[in-house]
Amino acid sequence: MVWLLRALAGPVLWAALFSLVYALHGTGCGLGWTDRPVLFTDLHHIAMWVAWLAGLALHVVLVLTMPVGSGRARTVTAAGAWIGLVASVFTLFPVVVTSTCF
Amino acid sequence: MTDATTTLEQDDARAQPSVKAADIAANPPQRALRLHRELDEVWSDLPGWRGFFTSVNHGTIGLRFMATAFVFFAIGGVLAMLIRAQLATRNGVFLDNDLYSQIFTMHGSIMMFLFAIPLLEGLALWLLPKILGARDMAFPRLSALGYFCYLFGGTVIVLSLLFGAAPDGGWFMYVPLTDKTYSPGVNADVWLLGVTFVEISAMAAAVEITVTILRCRAANMPLTRMPLMGWYLLGTSVMMLVGFPPLILGSILLEVQRAFDWPFFDVGRGGSPMLWQHLFWLFGHPEVYIIFLPAAGALSTIIPVLSRTKILGYGALVAAVIGLVFLSFGLWVHHMFTVGIPHMALAFFSAASALVAVPTAVQIFAWIGTMWEGRVQFRLPMLYIMGFFATFVMGGLTGVMLAMVPFNWQAHDTHFVVAHLHYVLIGGFVFPMLAAVAYWMPLICGRWRVRGLGEAAFWLIFIGFHGTFFIMHLTGLVGMPRRVGVYPDNPEWEWLNLISSIFGMIQSAGFALFAFDVIMQWMFGRRSWRNPWQAPTLEWAMPLPAPSYNFASLPGPRQPDAGSILPLARGEGLLPGAPRGWRETVVVEPGTGRPQHVAVLASNTALPVATSAAIGSFFAMMLAGFYWVAPLGILATLIVAWKWGAIMGTDRDHPPADVAPGIRLPLHWQVRNTLAYTGAVALLVADATLFASLLFGVGFLAVVAPNWPAPESGIATWPMLAVSLGALAAMALGTVASRLAEQRRADPSLRVWTRLGLISTGAGLVLLGVIGVWLDDPTRHARDALRGATLGFAVVHGVIALMLALRADLDARTGRISAERRGAVPVWQLFQLFWLGTSAVSLALILVQEVL
Amino acid sequence: MLAVPLLTACNGPLSTLNPSGPVALEIARLWWAMLIGAGLITAMVMVMLILAIRRGPMLTEGNTSERRWIYGWGLGFSLSVLTVLLAFALWVGERMLARDDGAVTVQAQASQWTWRFVQPGPGGQPVMTEGVLYVPAGQPFDVAITSTDVIHSFWVPQLGGKMDAIPGHPNLHRLMADEPGVYEGQCAEFCGRGHPFMRFEVVAYDPAGPLPDFASITGPMVEPAFPEDVSGFEGTGQTEIPAQESSE
Ligand code: HEM
Ligand SMILES: [Cu+2]
Ligand SMILES: [Cu+2]
Repeated sequence: MVWLLRALAGPVLWAALFSLVYALHGTGCGLGWTDRPVLFTDLHHIAMWVAWLAGLALHVVLVLTMPVGSGRARTVTAAGAWIGLVASVFTLFPVVVTSTCF
Repeated sequence: MTDATTTLEQDDARAQPSVKAADIAANPPQRALRLHRELDEVWSDLPGWRGFFTSVNHGTIGLRFMATAFVFFAIGGVLAMLIRAQLATRNGVFLDNDLYSQIFTMHGSIMMFLFAIPLLEGLALWLLPKILGARDMAFPRLSALGYFCYLFGGTVIVLSLLFGAAPDGGWFMYVPLTDKTYSPGVNADVWLLGVTFVEISAMAAAVEITVTILRCRAANMPLTRMPLMGWYLLGTSVMMLVGFPPLILGSILLEVQRAFDWPFFDVGRGGSPMLWQHLFWLFGHPEVYIIFLPAAGALSTIIPVLSRTKILGYGALVAAVIGLVFLSFGLWVHHMFTVGIPHMALAFFSAASALVAVPTAVQIFAWIGTMWEGRVQFRLPMLYIMGFFATFVMGGLTGVMLAMVPFNWQAHDTHFVVAHLHYVLIGGFVFPMLAAVAYWMPLICGRWRVRGLGEAAFWLIFIGFHGTFFIMHLTGLVGMPRRVGVYPDNPEWEWLNLISSIFGMIQSAGFALFAFDVIMQWMFGRRSWRNPWQAPTLEWAMPLPAPSYNFASLPGPRQPDAGSILPLARGEGLLPGAPRGWRETVVVEPGTGRPQHVAVLASNTALPVATSAAIGSFFAMMLAGFYWVAPLGILATLIVAWKWGAIMGTDRDHPPADVAPGIRLPLHWQVRNTLAYTGAVALLVADATLFASLLFGVGFLAVVAPNWPAPESGIATWPMLAVSLGALAAMALGTVASRLAEQRRADPSLRVWTRLGLISTGAGLVLLGVIGVWLDDPTRHARDALRGATLGFAVVHGVIALMLALRADLDARTGRISAERRGAVPVWQLFQLFWLGTSAVSLALILVQEVL
Repeated sequence: MLAVPLLTACNGPLSTLNPSGPVALEIARLWWAMLIGAGLITAMVMVMLILAIRRGPMLTEGNTSERRWIYGWGLGFSLSVLTVLLAFALWVGERMLARDDGAVTVQAQASQWTWRFVQPGPGGQPVMTEGVLYVPAGQPFDVAITSTDVIHSFWVPQLGGKMDAIPGHPNLHRLMADEPGVYEGQCAEFCGRGHPFMRFEVVAYDPAGPLPDFASITGPMVEPAFPEDVSGFEGTGQTEIPAQESSE
């Protein structure tokens, strides 16, 4: 059973990160964070970028530490960690490409 | 043993060199016929109509679910034909607009809630114990309860059509169209109450499937060697546990708005129609995968058998299931691309929707690879599988197209979407299910099919389907919106629709022929051989048709597959026969499958039908608008629930059961981690999701809805805070008492603790009542309505905790709790803790709202 | 035999395949590209399937076949196609958003089952109409969409995608008509009994020529969806509205 929980760690982190960034996006547009310059960009972008990058770093840790066991258990634990990482990269990369509140 | 079986074995030996399944010695062989008589006596249903109301056997209930689902499919199909007849010409006159709205709403709702979901529940209920090597599902009475809720609710929904009172707001029931102002009739209530009533069966099935897969497998079958169908249905059931609560919450809130004017979705008073859309699609998208996963499980089971090989990439498929389960919860906004959400948020969901195609592609290619490796036998189920590939691939591709935001802006709400959704639903669900029916029919009825009919039905369905829906993509692209019954100004759409209508009739003829074929097989087919497909899985390790008890002795490591049919029938497996005259099955540790104890399951009883009638009376009174007598329905439900608890315990210790040579296991009354306990945990997962959805509602409205901040609250802060903290303290005391009651269960002080628990739980409830009296008028603003809803959540859980405390107190007094037996106390603890936790979070949230 | 009805359908007044503005054109292009891609993929999968059925059993060494099917096709192929497609679609979408760039703003207010519009009329003064929206051709305009009752959806297929009209949540939708002309629109979200009849027209006029006759109506003025956008009517930036010629 424990190996199954390890396999779920990556996807769970994706779910949390996805919800967090989506919530940050909504809150930022609601509270006008786009009008608050920070560094070379604005508070809205910075908040989402920091969350995203921190999440990705955690994902890398999971990819390195979660796979255990042998045979099918190993396949599934490794796959779980990778699913999380790829999902977080793929579904949240819009934070660096699209416009925020239009 | 077949060649397929051996390869499966070898594969796993290779995959798992270190994990050696511990051996379990065989029981001495007995006379198979004697065992059969002994078991059948205990396991069979009562004869005649009494059997209908009292059966709890998974075989009976599962088949009944499936048969009922197909009846609703026929009804939904007739409605589809009415739609097609109406649309065949541009001035179709035979349904007026009001009727047309009812018909398409009912078609969609019936197909989703009364056909697809129940069919997969039925398949799971019927198949799981057989394929996993158990005698029944974990909670037989719950299966029956679910069935009757489904039957009663579904019947009411369908009957509403006859009275012209059928739901007419579309199957996703968008507010404000469905609120009291714009739908003053009872139509919307039929949907909200009827579907919620039916969803009780979905929640029951979800809990049951989860627990059965985790704990009712063959002895020493680790999760890694479970048939893939187990993984798929585990994914399905977990998704149901998490996916249905948002819908249930949304339906309750909308019904409360309609009945009592609490403004959750009313923009004028701080609500928002967008909240409904989020809640609905938070359910609605996962729903599509809930429907698809069991079908994919059937494919993963059937394809390798009919290709005479093993499945390619077991581990990858398990990973794909995990990926689908998670990703499908991150897509719901793709149904809301045109509501005015900023592009970046749309992009998240667009990307997630594209990404979900990857695990689907992995499965498709794994199946093709399996066929590539093997030698495909073109038998009837294979034909339907070809139909699946030819249809579902296209449906998936149009799905990816719709996930692209700009294209969605054009195609959304047109017939393009109607075409897409039928490609995935019929391609991804109906075709695999027809394959599954053809494949498992011999096990269901013990007969072989009549030659030729099945093929003819397939071709009619296949040609009819593509003729109807392929061209419908174009109908949508040239501008025809969905849900219009007439299009007088657009002659250019007419021939497209006419073609769809003609082929639609062909398709229906095909489905009718399919039904005819199944009936012919049931009645006139020749007797089938054992294991006619030479499949490896355990459901074929039994005589045909499947006996009421499935296995005369339960499979263990020495009886790993369908080849073990004779040893199992002779009682060489675990727990042979029914020596105590009870329905018994072995319960295992979830991961490794190590046998842990023997569960004594319920036998024939009318309690489930009585319970669903009691619950139904509540829904019926709500529907009739008798709001002030509706609590009587709740009371009736509580009374039956009490009866339910009363028959669950025992007041003496039972000796352990002989399971296999050298293995004696306790009966479930004498263990803590019972099936019921696991079931309660699963139920609380769903419950926690419901609570989380409510919190989401609070946050969402506060940030997004217009007309906030809410008017000044009239609550006297300090007294209210004092009472709230007092309520929390009472709940905490109850929690502590429930813990101590278990620790001191062998001690006379037990009764003190159960009594204390009972009193403090009651006190907590009373204090919640005081809070209720002091709350602001919930019809004033959505904030106040949400507070009312939060309080309602706490009260409901308080009542459950109170019932459990009462049960524990009575058990303690009647000697049903002892050093060995814990009765309902562990489950009571769980609910106390949950009540305390959720109430504390609610209070904290309200405090934050007040401070900000 | 099918060609004629096919062409009339595709060139119909509500067809998305008959684009008359940049937004609709881009989406139509995206569609054709996706159609070709999807056609190729379907054909490829069907060929694989036929080959898989036709060829006899030949067990490849376990790992290579898993690598080929799962990693090669299942993951590699699908992920790369999807990445390219998604990037393309986001880029297309990004260029059709309504932004604060001073485009003409008109109001569209949906009610069961009519559309009311407010647009700059003679002298830049707001004019209210029912069922017909007047916009200048050849320049982008934003429609500020609201609803007074249930949810509706504003859709002019030849000009671009749809946008919902939701009570309490005003939306801004960017469109443009390349040429002067009349474009048909309809409500795309089911809104009750009158839904099939909730049609309207968009009249794109030549901004350089005389203004058309606005079939104006009187009555309580439609509330501006975004109060701060009312300035749009004053003709900020490029929105030069020529004085009305007496059109007789
Ligand atoms: C027997 C073949 C079927 C035909 C000819 C058919 C036909 C149709 C048509 C024409 C519509 C569009 C109605 C409109 O927008 O005005 C529709 C809607 C729908 N169909 Fe089917 N259908 C069939 C089977 C199914 C099945 C098997 C399912 C699900 C498992 C299904 C689920 C739906 C749903 C969810 C809707 C949307 C309803 C709504 O807009 O509220 N249909 N169907
Ligand atoms: Cu969806
Ligand atoms: Cu409409």
